[in-house]
Amino acid sequence: MDLPPTDPELHPLADIDQVIHASARLMVLTYLYVVESADYVFLMRLTGLTWGNLSTHLTKLDEAGYITMTKEFIGKKPHTTIRLTDQGRAAFREYKKSMQQVLDDLPD
Amino acid sequence: MTGQISLKEAERKAFRTKTDDGLWDVLLGCIFLMFAIAPYLSTTMGDFWSSVVFLPFWGLVYLTILLVRKYVVTPRVGTVKFGQRRKTRLMKLSLVLILVNAAALILGLVAAMTFGSVPGQIYPIFLGLILLLGFSAAAYFLDMPRLYLYGLLLWLSPLVGEWLWRQGYATHHGFPITFGITAGIMIIVGLVIFMRLLRDNPLPGEETPSE
Repeated sequence: MDLPPTDPELHPLADIDQVIHASARLMVLTYLYVVESADYVFLMRLTGLTWGNLSTHLTKLDEAGYITMTKEFIGKKPHTTIRLTDQGRAAFREYKKSMQQVLDDLPD
Repeated sequence: MTGQISLKEAERKAFRTKTDDGLWDVLLGCIFLMFAIAPYLSTTMGDFWSSVVFLPFWGLVYLTILLVRKYVVTPRVGTVKFGQRRKTRLMKLSLVLILVNAAALILGLVAAMTFGSVPGQIYPIFLGLILLLGFSAAAYFLDMPRLYLYGLLLWLSPLVGEWLWRQGYATHHGFPITFGITAGIMIIVGLVIFMRLLRDNPLPGEETPSE
């Protein structure tokens, strides 16, 4: 999503990754950043999102190439493991850096 | 709050969500229950067999915990693999626990070799310190503050027990009372945490077709 033209001083905000910037996706990425992998149920418990909501956000992150979703069967039950890709990890780090910079640069 | 702190908190929350189900508290309580019950059995079975007889009981409790974790906890909490930071912490804890167990073993051997020649209260003091050290390390590396309390209770158990025994208030060095209370606290805390986990994490409903 493109931001409307803004004050040049606030220009760095336009560089913020909008895929990550949504609070639910930021929450999901934060947890995926600190673990190796997790499944749907675990992410639901940690984030408090419903299955439908989580699924929507994971799809967006998957389309951006930030996560991989591996589907398998455990017994007769389908099971999806989600992990951050290298691209997703780099994007998260960049997002964190950008946000810190933007907030640090704001006048008191 | 800095970014670094919030990531640490997120990792800690992820770890506790997965591991803090109260079942280890129940297992630890069952293990330390031995110190409370074994003294009564030692008169008929001897010191060695009165302790060994607990192995099948612990095995049964451990097996039950594994099954409950697999069929009750995991479907409610989900699965996760932890990152390198957590793996390193767990490795450090393992190393500390190996050292603590070695210290306990050496203490047992020294106690057996010097039986009668060293004042009786020396061993409980060292046993308590070893338990306090082990539980404090576990509390630190697992981010579970209540393990400090368990360590403190286990440190006090042999000391208070010895005092009760010397004052004539209790038999068997007071262990049935002090370790019984400590083990009971662990089991009750574990069961409360487990019940809360069941209450707060119902099985995912029909809206979760892929899980």
